[in-house]
Amino acid sequence: MFTRRMTAFLLAAAALGAQTVDRSKAPQTPPIPSYKLPPVYETRLPNGMGVALVEDSRFPLVTARLVFQAGSRFDPKDMPGLAEAVAALLTEGTKTRNSRQISEEVDGLGGSLGGGAGEDSLVVSGSALSENTAKLLELMADVSRNANFPLDEVNLHKQNRTQSLLADRSDPGFLASQKMAEVLYGSSPYAHIAPTPESIQKLDAKVLAGFRDAWLAPNNATLILIGKLPARAEVMKTITAQFGSWQQKQLPAPPKMDLPAPRRQIVLVDRPGSVQADIHVGRLAPTRASSEYFPLMVGSAILGGGANSRMFKDIREKEGFAYDAHSAYDTHRDAGDFEGVTEVRNEVLEPALKAVLAELDRMAQARVSADELTGIKNFLSGMYLLHLETQDGLASQLANMKALGLPNDYLETYTAHVRAVEPDQILSAAKKYIAPDQAAVVVVGDAAKIGEVLKKFGSVTVTKVE
Amino acid sequence: MKKIIATSLLMGAAFLGKSAEVTIPIEQYQLKNGLRVILSKDNTVPVVTVYMIYDVGARSEEKGRTGFAHLFEHMMFEGSANAPKGTHFAAVESNGGTLNGSTHPDFTDYFEVLPSNKLATALWLESDRMRSLAINEENLKNQKEAVKQERRLSFDNQPYATAIVDIWPTLMYGNWQSSHSLIGSFEDLNASSVADVAKFFKTYYAPDNAALVIVGDIQSADARKLIETYFGDIPSQPQPKHPDMTEPADFQGRTEVHKDPLAKVPGVIIGYPGPKRRSPDYYAIIMIDAILTAGDSARFRMDLVKGKQSVVQYEANLAWPFGNSLDYRDPEDYGIFVLYNPNFTATQIVDQVQEEFAKLQNQGIEAKDLERVKTQLRASIIKDMQSSLSRARALAQYAIVDGDPALINTELDRMLAVTSAQIQAAAKKYFVAQKRSVLEIAPAPGAQPGNSGAKEGK
Repeated sequence: MFTRRMTAFLLAAAALGAQTVDRSKAPQTPPIPSYKLPPVYETRLPNGMGVALVEDSRFPLVTARLVFQAGSRFDPKDMPGLAEAVAALLTEGTKTRNSRQISEEVDGLGGSLGGGAGEDSLVVSGSALSENTAKLLELMADVSRNANFPLDEVNLHKQNRTQSLLADRSDPGFLASQKMAEVLYGSSPYAHIAPTPESIQKLDAKVLAGFRDAWLAPNNATLILIGKLPARAEVMKTITAQFGSWQQKQLPAPPKMDLPAPRRQIVLVDRPGSVQADIHVGRLAPTRASSEYFPLMVGSAILGGGANSRMFKDIREKEGFAYDAHSAYDTHRDAGDFEGVTEVRNEVLEPALKAVLAELDRMAQARVSADELTGIKNFLSGMYLLHLETQDGLASQLANMKALGLPNDYLETYTAHVRAVEPDQILSAAKKYIAPDQAAVVVVGDAAKIGEVLKKFGSVTVTKVE
Repeated sequence: MKKIIATSLLMGAAFLGKSAEVTIPIEQYQLKNGLRVILSKDNTVPVVTVYMIYDVGARSEEKGRTGFAHLFEHMMFEGSANAPKGTHFAAVESNGGTLNGSTHPDFTDYFEVLPSNKLATALWLESDRMRSLAINEENLKNQKEAVKQERRLSFDNQPYATAIVDIWPTLMYGNWQSSHSLIGSFEDLNASSVADVAKFFKTYYAPDNAALVIVGDIQSADARKLIETYFGDIPSQPQPKHPDMTEPADFQGRTEVHKDPLAKVPGVIIGYPGPKRRSPDYYAIIMIDAILTAGDSARFRMDLVKGKQSVVQYEANLAWPFGNSLDYRDPEDYGIFVLYNPNFTATQIVDQVQEEFAKLQNQGIEAKDLERVKTQLRASIIKDMQSSLSRARALAQYAIVDGDPALINTELDRMLAVTSAQIQAAAKKYFVAQKRSVLEIAPAPGAQPGNSGAKEGK
């Protein structure tokens, strides 16, 4: 309260100087207002299911996520896309409701309900008008516990997923991500990001239920509920009624995580007819549990996070090679990867790839400047605030936290961790993970047009799109 | 409304009403130079959105200058007298904010979302470029390249996208203002000069052709002072003439086939000319759209995806593909885009869609189904109101199109008042085969990609 008043006072003071404003300089502004995350109430049911409740009564809505440690990394080797198929089919029929009944009931709550699978987690996401919270929880429990994968729904899924996979494979961004995951993660479960036409054909109720029975268990799940909620005791009573009788299960051992040693290799994914080349330069990087996480994340943002980053300013604004030039540092629970990305017209592939490699090198050769570091710390702290505006924003952050197994105070301490990063820490992380000497280069484009140029950077493996 | 293609089109309409149990506070006034100002205070999260909307879009372009409005939007980030090139991105992002701009058929918008202590920074930046944009050869050359690269990335190298942006408008509209490519040809972009940029800036980027919307953690007295300080002395300009968008009376919808070398799954676009904005039919068609496409129980999903197993994915909207019911301004269409199972033909798909309209024409909708659709609409609109940016977008549209930002608090009630009989009548009046345009998109491996973009270098 005190902070807020101070802010208002300073704003007023700045405004009173109105007539003599000096436009040549950015305005003096008051300090960033303090903001405390709404409290997260955490508990656990006797069967081991985690519960996280956040009261947010600004709008008469609730947003829910049921997060299982059951993502694509748990797909059997010969069944890529199984987790994704289970997630998609959970809402297509249970012992007591068919697909149409589920859809109509959910829509009647002013809500939504659907499953999705990432690398680490399978998430059942739901929302509803607040007055329908209990009914939403009933439906979430039903689809998570009692899905029965009806034959006609499974067949329809197979038919449509075959078509949408074809559509995915016409998208150069998808092709690049798929190849990069394969190259970086080798034989580990993070190497695949999608099903194959063959694995889609092998789906049936038995294999789907097998995955569900192995991994969808209360002791492998956390329920996150955010919004204008009923009183604590009442909401816990509803949660217990819907999920309390769900039996614990002995979980199978997670698949092994053998990661290949990073090495320089150049792979060209041939996409005949491409009018541009999608360039991705990537390598393995540490997880969020590592002490190198925050330095590398901050460093990556200086390099290619947003319109004030080095890659945007150099590759787009100065050189005009591309519309988009960015870097990304993605973390899974047991591994992560760093990437520099840009998409350029075929004629400038050579100078553009050189420019990307040079930007990555520069991060590993010299400390970032004090100005860059202050700017990016403000940027990341501000983005954190912006993501808290909506229930979905907070729910996604909490779900991600659970999926990655991060400590409960992760969100609360996030900004402090960002603020504490030093230039030397960034330099040492950049030397290990951003320096491109051992990075894989994946290019998606028309091999007939860009194959020769790419050879100037080393030996090139050309792969076809199936 | 499911998204199939990743273009920068903005989705999601936003309206509230008594039925929403939420009221958005509104203060509106006008500066002496004509700038309309709308303030909406919400002190729950220390975030503020500064949203600037200019009443000009791609449909105001002149022949030989397709894509110019969008090119101009890029120029707005190239610096101004006191905030030279690079300052805009740096000042917003290094202060913890995010920003963007986008060009639409009838308007262009720019926004900054920042921690609320940085309100003055955003006002300084927006006012400086409205007052003194840096227009020079070097910036123009550089942004022509960026725009061409954007065209390659988002359109020429994507399946379906050139068909949508370059060809679809020619089937839907007879008036060149509406039927030309809004992303533009490389030829026209190359021909644009510094003089064109200067003229467009003077004509359209004046305070009296714009509205400033600020939503979030503000104190209104302080915000008013800052706005006066930064914008108060920017001179107004004569009101620009808006081009005549009237459709020729003899214009006929038609069917065309486009061979797409990048597409692997067949697609079809179906469109019908839409109603007058905020007429009774407009609200009825918003309900029709929700019946057909909103949520998992939507008729397109139940009848076509599941029942006939013919459609794989779909999206539809008023003002499709560039807009939605919120920013809809007639003449625009109700457009439907589907990807379908190759065991069917495009003609079969078009017939099946038409059959969905026939059901509404013949039977309207049962009370319990209408009730469910209304609940969905109410919830989705409340959901959209959570972010300050989407509130700002809605306020801006109501301000510049309808002259009344307070409509944000009453439009939902108008939608929820629609009856089955009105739905039936609107379906009969608008969704008839004779008024329809159709674009079939056939996968054609080996054909030459791109459309107007491919002209470059010749």
